Amino acid sequence: MTDFQMIMQALPQVFSLANIGMILIGLVIGMIVGCIPGLSVTLGIILMLPLTYTFDDPATAIILLLAVYVGGMYGGSISAITLNTPGTNSAIATTFDGYPLAKKGKVKKALDVSLFASVFGGLFSAILLLVCASLITKLVAGFTTVEYFSMGILGISLIAGVSGDSLPKSIISGMIGLLMACVGMDAVTGVTRMAYGLNTLKYGIDMLPAMIALIALTQVVMKLRDFKVSGGKLDDASKIDKEGITRKEAKKILPACLRSSAVASVLGAMPGVGGGVAQFLCYNEARRTSKHPEEFGKGALEGIAAAESSNNAVVGSAMIPMLTLGIPGDGVTALLMSAFILHGITPGPTMFTKQGVMAYTVILGCLVANILLAPIGLGMTRGVAKIVQVKYTYLAPVIIMFCFAGAFAATGNTKELVLCAAILIFSYVLTLLDISNTPLMLGMILEKIMESNFVSASMAYDRDYTIFLRRPISAVILILTIVLLVSMMRVNKRIETLNAQQEAEMAAEHAKMDEPESSAAN
Amino acid sequence: MKFKIKTNLVSGILMGLFSIFLLVTMPQQIRVPAFDSGAPSPRIIPMICTVLMLVFSVVLIIQSLVFKKEKVVEFDWQKEKPAIILILALCVYVALIIYIGYVLASIIIFCLVLFYCGERKWYMFVYTIVAAVLIYFLFKKVFLINLPSGLLPF
Repeated sequence: MTDFQMIMQALPQVFSLANIGMILIGLVIGMIVGCIPGLSVTLGIILMLPLTYTFDDPATAIILLLAVYVGGMYGGSISAITLNTPGTNSAIATTFDGYPLAKKGKVKKALDVSLFASVFGGLFSAILLLVCASLITKLVAGFTTVEYFSMGILGISLIAGVSGDSLPKSIISGMIGLLMACVGMDAVTGVTRMAYGLNTLKYGIDMLPAMIALIALTQVVMKLRDFKVSGGKLDDASKIDKEGITRKEAKKILPACLRSSAVASVLGAMPGVGGGVAQFLCYNEARRTSKHPEEFGKGALEGIAAAESSNNAVVGSAMIPMLTLGIPGDGVTALLMSAFILHGITPGPTMFTKQGVMAYTVILGCLVANILLAPIGLGMTRGVAKIVQVKYTYLAPVIIMFCFAGAFAATGNTKELVLCAAILIFSYVLTLLDISNTPLMLGMILEKIMESNFVSASMAYDRDYTIFLRRPISAVILILTIVLLVSMMRVNKRIETLNAQQEAEMAAEHAKMDEPESSAAN
Repeated sequence: MKFKIKTNLVSGILMGLFSIFLLVTMPQQIRVPAFDSGAPSPRIIPMICTVLMLVFSVVLIIQSLVFKKEKVVEFDWQKEKPAIILILALCVYVALIIYIGYVLASIIIFCLVLFYCGERKWYMFVYTIVAAVLIYFLFKKVFLINLPSGLLPF
């Protein structure tokens, strides 16, 4: 089947009632978790993951999770604008201009610009994903298990190098992840590994309870701690007015949207960069090329547009390496990848040949989710913004109950709950030691793929381990790993200092704005 | 009570000890199969990971002690106490789920958690109880997953 035929077959599947329904539900849930500061998009995806077990079609499951991702990226801007607190990390740059605009009473205008830019950026990268996917898979079609193992090394070392600020700590975290996935029965030799005589460990650590404990429970506990420490105070949110954007304004922000979508798409496709980094670069770029750079930080529509289109553009482009090469670019894509694996599909070039229609259904689903974000965003933003004002004590118990029920659902055994509690304690210790758990999560996901490729490669070459260096493509990948690691760490460091500068600058600007008001109040 | 944690040094020592423990116990915990199936030893990947962990733990310790590169995190007992209490509550929650069932455990633990968080309004507690029952039946009827029912007959 040619790609075109597969796309044609995938089209009717995307528009099935179940898929469209899932997209709508996913978008709303994504907007809600994205909107609440302290709860990330990752948490939303983890909460949905156990529910997708009962779905017959893996494509529907992935589409639901993707819709949560898309909705969450927009949702982050709602609280960024109304509260001056970004709902997700990738909405920090949105506060730069979103909050000043809200202060002027133009909340609806800011939200509309953000929605318009989000939809634009999302569509841009989804189309890019559709075009690139088949091209890249053709390029890597000649890969054997040797190359796949090397790709796994590339993936994990890039993430370890880029996430967090201490390389040794990230590597340790990644190694713990790999080791955790090793626990239990070895798939090839049938040997039990590192169970220490415990029945709980004998059958291995399942991915789902581990993710729930590492990400979701840790987040909720931290947020509940802050609630208790602060005495449950809520921030004042700006009221949403009625005046949206005009067509003229939409036209004005179009170049900014286009530019940052393009920049963010390229950045997003690189493993380890993600929306958090892309937004600042795009914001800066928009300011540099704008006709009115002096308005930035004081409520420039272009500023919101640049920040928001960049973080949604990352959604589609981060999927490119994950779908085509099987390398997740950041925490969220790692989770999506684990969703694929849980449903028995290994992302990578073989997916496009063996399950091509499904692969394209997922890609088209991403596209449709971005289109549907427009009406959902217009209709639901007001309601979602109110949820931020709901006391956290309403949400936390329900989320925690859901987490444990979801962990139990992984295998239907109570040992998952015990693992959850144990990993939660471990994760808290890691937080105290300032060790990021993203590499850990990635290690856990990549281990199975890496080890199975390693085993089949070394069996095929009679345990000749030099084969990974002798096969030319594999050697190139390993060399590339080192080159990329070094150069990306440098780039990241530079971008980080730039970001810190920018954030400090904007905080000063906002403080200046708040000052006259509070003195007037006195 | 406040004290500072030198995270590089402490993580280096803790993770170093952990990897030494793994290395020492590895021959006993991962037995090599008696016959040769042609597959590489099941120890290879865990071994590489543990050795790398040890190496980078040492790097962290050297960074901290020799190059004085350190990231200090302040541990404020007042701020961390709620987190530790909540985590302990969740551990008790797991034990309760296993012994008395999901619904009862959820009701007991989350009513206590809400009370601890300063919630005193009666409807919050009713809300939590209703939520626990609803989630139980949502999983049972819609997702066809039977959460541990424990003491309750349904």
